[in-house]
Amino acid sequence: MRANVSLMLSHGASETVMSRPDYEQNSLHHGCLLVLLRGVGPSKPRSLQKAFDKVRRVSNVKINDSSGITRDIWVRYIHDHPVENNDWGDFQTHRRLLGLVTIGKFENQTELNELCRQHESLKVRYSGTLYDSRAIFFGPTSANTTDNVNSAGGDQQHVDSRNNSSNINSNSVGIHCTRLQDEFTTPSNFKAQAYFYREQDSCSDLESHIAEFIHALFWVLESKRLDRSREKVEKISLLLAPKEKRDFVGMDMDSRMNRKRCVGRVMKNLADLSLQAGLVVEALGMYHSACDTLRAIGDSLWVGATEEGLCSASAILLYPHLRESDTLHRNTSLQDAGSSPLRNTPEKWRASDVTVKVHANEHQHNSQDDGPAVTQMASASSSCSSVSSLLTNSPTSGTPSSSSSTSTISAAQHGLRTAELPSNILKPDELHGYYRRAIINYSKYSHAAVIETEAALKAARICIEQNRPLDVAMFLQNILYLNVSMSEPERVKRFEVITDLYHQIGYRRKAAFFQRLAALKYVQQGNPNPDWSQTYRLMLESFPGYLLSLDPMEVIDNAAGWPTLQIDLLQGVIAAARRLGQSALATRHMTFLLQTQWAHMTPTEQSDMSVQLQNLSAQCEGSPVPLVLENGTVIPPANLTDLPYCVDLVVRDLPAHLRPQRIKIVKADSGPFLFTPIHLNSLDRREKKREKNKIAFLWVQNNLSEVTLRLRNPLPFELTVSDMRLLTNGIVFESLPQTVILQPHVPTTVTLHGTPIEVGQLEIQGYSTHALGVKSNCRLKNMRGRKFPPNYLVDVIPALPRISVKTSLPQTATFSQLASSDIVITSASLTLYNGESSTCIITITNDSALPVEHLEISINSNVEPEIQKKIFSIDEKALQTKLPIQPNSSIDFTVHIYGEADFICPIVSQRAASVHSSSTMTATLQADFAGGSGGGGAGPHSLQYSTLSSSGHASLPSRVSSPNQQQTAHNRRNDPNNLSFRSSTSGGTTSLAALSLPAGGAHGNSGQGYGQHVEAQFRIKYSGGEGMQEGYCRQCAISFNLELLPSAQITSWDVLPAEIPSQFYLVLDVSNLTAQEMSLNYTNNKSILIEAKESCRVPIPVDRCSLEQVVAAREAEYAENMEKDLCYRTQLLSFSDSISKLCSEHIAERVKISWLLTGTDIQGIASLHGIVLTSAMIDLTTVSPLQWTVSFQNTPVQPQSEIVCAAGQSAILNVSVCNQSAQPLRNLVLTIKFYQDYLNGMENYNLDTRVAISGSNRVSIPFLQKHAQIQHECTVIFFTPGRFKASIQCCSKPQVSAAAAAAVAVTTQSAVGAATQTSVDPNVPTLHINDIVGSAASYHEQQEHIWKFIPPIEVTVIEQ
Amino acid sequence: MAVCISIIGKDNAPLYLTTTDLDKELELQYRVHAALDVVEEKCQPVSKGTPDSKELYLGLLYSTETHKIYGFVTNTKIKFVIVVDSGNIALRENEVRAMFRNLHMLYTDAVCNPFYAPGEPLTSVKFDRAVQKIMGGNA
Repeated sequence: MRANVSLMLSHGASETVMSRPDYEQNSLHHGCLLVLLRGVGPSKPRSLQKAFDKVRRVSNVKINDSSGITRDIWVRYIHDHPVENNDWGDFQTHRRLLGLVTIGKFENQTELNELCRQHESLKVRYSGTLYDSRAIFFGPTSANTTDNVNSAGGDQQHVDSRNNSSNINSNSVGIHCTRLQDEFTTPSNFKAQAYFYREQDSCSDLESHIAEFIHALFWVLESKRLDRSREKVEKISLLLAPKEKRDFVGMDMDSRMNRKRCVGRVMKNLADLSLQAGLVVEALGMYHSACDTLRAIGDSLWVGATEEGLCSASAILLYPHLRESDTLHRNTSLQDAGSSPLRNTPEKWRASDVTVKVHANEHQHNSQDDGPAVTQMASASSSCSSVSSLLTNSPTSGTPSSSSSTSTISAAQHGLRTAELPSNILKPDELHGYYRRAIINYSKYSHAAVIETEAALKAARICIEQNRPLDVAMFLQNILYLNVSMSEPERVKRFEVITDLYHQIGYRRKAAFFQRLAALKYVQQGNPNPDWSQTYRLMLESFPGYLLSLDPMEVIDNAAGWPTLQIDLLQGVIAAARRLGQSALATRHMTFLLQTQWAHMTPTEQSDMSVQLQNLSAQCEGSPVPLVLENGTVIPPANLTDLPYCVDLVVRDLPAHLRPQRIKIVKADSGPFLFTPIHLNSLDRREKKREKNKIAFLWVQNNLSEVTLRLRNPLPFELTVSDMRLLTNGIVFESLPQTVILQPHVPTTVTLHGTPIEVGQLEIQGYSTHALGVKSNCRLKNMRGRKFPPNYLVDVIPALPRISVKTSLPQTATFSQLASSDIVITSASLTLYNGESSTCIITITNDSALPVEHLEISINSNVEPEIQKKIFSIDEKALQTKLPIQPNSSIDFTVHIYGEADFICPIVSQRAASVHSSSTMTATLQADFAGGSGGGGAGPHSLQYSTLSSSGHASLPSRVSSPNQQQTAHNRRNDPNNLSFRSSTSGGTTSLAALSLPAGGAHGNSGQGYGQHVEAQFRIKYSGGEGMQEGYCRQCAISFNLELLPSAQITSWDVLPAEIPSQFYLVLDVSNLTAQEMSLNYTNNKSILIEAKESCRVPIPVDRCSLEQVVAAREAEYAENMEKDLCYRTQLLSFSDSISKLCSEHIAERVKISWLLTGTDIQGIASLHGIVLTSAMIDLTTVSPLQWTVSFQNTPVQPQSEIVCAAGQSAILNVSVCNQSAQPLRNLVLTIKFYQDYLNGMENYNLDTRVAISGSNRVSIPFLQKHAQIQHECTVIFFTPGRFKASIQCCSKPQVSAAAAAAVAVTTQSAVGAATQTSVDPNVPTLHINDIVGSAASYHEQQEHIWKFIPPIEVTVIEQ
Repeated sequence: MAVCISIIGKDNAPLYLTTTDLDKELELQYRVHAALDVVEEKCQPVSKGTPDSKELYLGLLYSTETHKIYGFVTNTKIKFVIVVDSGNIALRENEVRAMFRNLHMLYTDAVCNPFYAPGEPLTSVKFDRAVQKIMGGNA
């Protein structure tokens, strides 16, 4: 019933113009039989699809007609066919639906009845044109089997057949079929032929059934064709296209013109039939003649039809492969009605075009050879094809064919030509011209718009085949002009077909344009049921046309296309996605838009879009995972890589005190040169360059590491970026999230932290953000416009322990100036007076979970290592015994600190010093010298303390009194006796006092309290755990700030002879530079109090330096000099250097001055290290080589003894000198002088009126052998009473060594002669010259020396 | 006269586009963009064609109900597309040719600017003014 209603409805509609163009049609379909292939029934399981495919595959059947000619019959299966299209069946016969095949599945009888009913109703609908129909029914399997089992009593064979191979199955098919047909009976009104199959049946005979069905169709068609061809010219009626009737109203139907019209149209109709019946060549001829006939009478519509027919017939011959692609495609595309049949890529298309051309040419040449081969093949295949005997059953078959017709199924064979191309065929070049003309003809009739549209599409497809894209464009463009009254879906369909065709010719942009139009049509205003999903789909598909891709990185890389259009399209997609309710997709596309089109948007647009994204993401948060659409399209993640914009990214090294270092630094073998341009390991270097992204430093396992980013917010509003983490690869890395709020346009530095959990290489790829509600993975490789490497590689080494350090001293506020101050983790400060000692306790706590197994402490400071060693001392051994430090425990160790300083005042301005000394100090000195007669005359700028005052030049030049360099040099030149030791050796001796104090700072008189700063670092290298096994350690440091305050200071010093020859007095001027009273303990039990900023002079008795030491030092230096001489030939150092060093050390060793600040417990020791002695001082310091024996009036003179004699009486002064040194001495001059000491610094040597000496007071001793002794005697007469002093000294003068030997004898003799009582030791002269040669540069000869008899003899002359 | 004038670079990226009606600009952009397929097709070297007799003017690319779209390509593969209203029957093809010629000269002048980097969008105000004149039909 329903079918009838629909039939009536469709009939009513057929009054209108055919409104549904068949967009799939191509020219070749003109020669096809149209068969409706329709699934019926409620259920359309997938299993039926196989049957559909099988049927579709039978698209070409070769049939031998009654005259023995093989006809090539093609079938076109369609899924849907509007009945009104049949109305154009007279106009173009291929529009008629000729056959019907239904496929259905049933479970029971009722369902089968329904299938049959549907089949019948379809038959009724197309009853006007239908020749024949078939029904394919698939019955139930399981129910049937049980039936079988029940009915056959457990027939084993049937069970097997179901389970086993298809071969058995096919054998049993017959039984099953009959059974099915027996079980289920078709209703009585069901007249069509039906085939029954089991559901799992392989349907092996289905193809042959269909082929047989096509046979049936063919024969009906053939009969119709024959009928038409046999019609008498007189009898033929006018064939009409729909709506043509009214054109002929009132026309003379019997006119000659009308007759011609009839003939022409019939001819055209016949040609159509012939084309369908496989008689292409005949059809061509008929078309030609029909065309001529109709054109003559101006029947434009039908002329157009004949022209199109011509094109079709020619195309069938020219492009037979088009059919194949069509069939093949149909097989693959299944029942997808929406998609277009030809979906070749343009490249493929162009390529195939070339091959086709070649193929066609080849074919033309080989057609002769092909013919027999093909027939052979056909016959071979025919033998195996089943002979159909069912033809007679066909109800519509008009001609009962008794002749055995063999059908050949050839789905795969193509390119079959029965003959050479006919001469009247249209040339390929002519085709599109004909089509154009046909279209123009059609266009004259508005009701033929559908025909025109189809023609244009067919023309376009042919032109695609011919590779004429411009013509394709022209035809397609033409379609748009056609004003067909069609529904919106049809319009959309039209656009989609056009899109598809444009795609085929590679017009991506055109295709995209129409795709977008189609997309917009789906949701056009006024559309009652907008389909956003289609819009979305089409818009996505149009992406390539606008050079967009789903992958944002691809788009950014390409950076091509029209940004305006891209933005518009993306917005369209976003809108569609939103309408669909796919918030995730909308968010994704919005993110994509922001990521890819950022540069092309104005700032306002940028912020608008960002706000939009924020709104979208509020519904569904965006995350960087691919989204999969229903149709399988994968939408890759989009990331807001540049929102915020990363200006730079820096991988941070660990803080210096946690930085891992090698425990043992392997010294690079750089060869003998410090620098060489030759790099033998150039390969290494190249490798280094390649790994530019390799980070040079190391990270440590389980140690918080950081990466610094500089981010800029390009939006005009505040941007909150939350959950920022580092994106890493490789080893496990625990990244800590970070949230920042970025102000607009202000670069902000963000530090991302994380902890490597494992050991190995860590790859930092970027960071992830959560901004505007979208989670993004911002990888460095995706950040454009900045010079970022694709990743950073950091090596992570095993965990190392970590310590914290405390000291017992207060921290400093000052900043350390020492190198690598960044490793300092704590500081300590201490103020000490020079010479004071203190301690510092350092506590090391292990904060980590690993034991500290290795600990190494080194001290670095701004003073020289020698001094440093004196200041700081650590007991390393005790420290090592405390190891290892267990986790969370601590150890202590002590550092001893001594305020090492140079207590010897450096050279100060002599003026100040002299004033100082002469005015204030003399008194104290005099007080100190109990027995010694202090006093002294002073030169203009020299202080002379002389007890044996005989002559000015013999005084002891003190260091304080030394004139400046120039003057010294001058003095030395002028007065060789006034020797300045300092001038020659000052450069060398300063090295003794490495702690050079600031000039004037330590000078007591100046009153300035400058301290000395010692900056030191206690560097602690520690390691433990696995990291230590790998050879790594950490280093931290304690900055130690030591301030040394001046305490006592020795401003000047001198050496005076002591009362006993074995000792001498070291006289020191000690200043108290502190602000407190100082108690100075200078010898065992002597101490003195010095007021703050005051100074005093203290004498310290010191043992002389023994001769043995001098000799040893001298020899050592001699050896050294010899060596130096050999090696370098440089200026030899003077021997005095070693001696002075020796003496200096001698003094420093013996003299320790301890001081105590009264009222406090601050005490210290001042050492005399670095004291510098002049040669005169040295002579006093060392034990004299001469031993004096002086007797006055035959009584030996004792030190401190007073000698009394009467005025006017002569007294005998006997002086004997013995050489105790190891060397002989020469050129000695013994002098005896009397003087008067006024005890006020003045000494009067001018005593001519008071004293007279009989005998020489000046004796020259040319040579004094070792252990030799010389005596000299003279007589003294004092004229006036008083206190006199006698200075007895022996002076050695250096002599030219060449004349030495000769001179010795002479002088000796003269000396003997002159000195009356001079006796030379018998075993003396000239013998020991050889002895001397070895030590030619002997110390005593080289320099002037003055040895005095100490203390001077004091004679009190009394009145007689 | 013209509705839209656009200049497209050799990589088919737009260098310049102006329209008389801002509301329709997007739609026109779509059309101009779609016209590029035909331009490219016409620009493809024809093996038979002699290179010296190359015609820069491509003629009518395609026409729609409302617009006619003409194309022109320079030797450096810079494409000019002019969209003309279909209703304007008075406009002859020679006039379109003249418009292209003028546009070509303007473009040449514009790219002669040493501060212009080839391939960048044309932003010269002077150029824009002159093109607007052409659009108005009184160049």
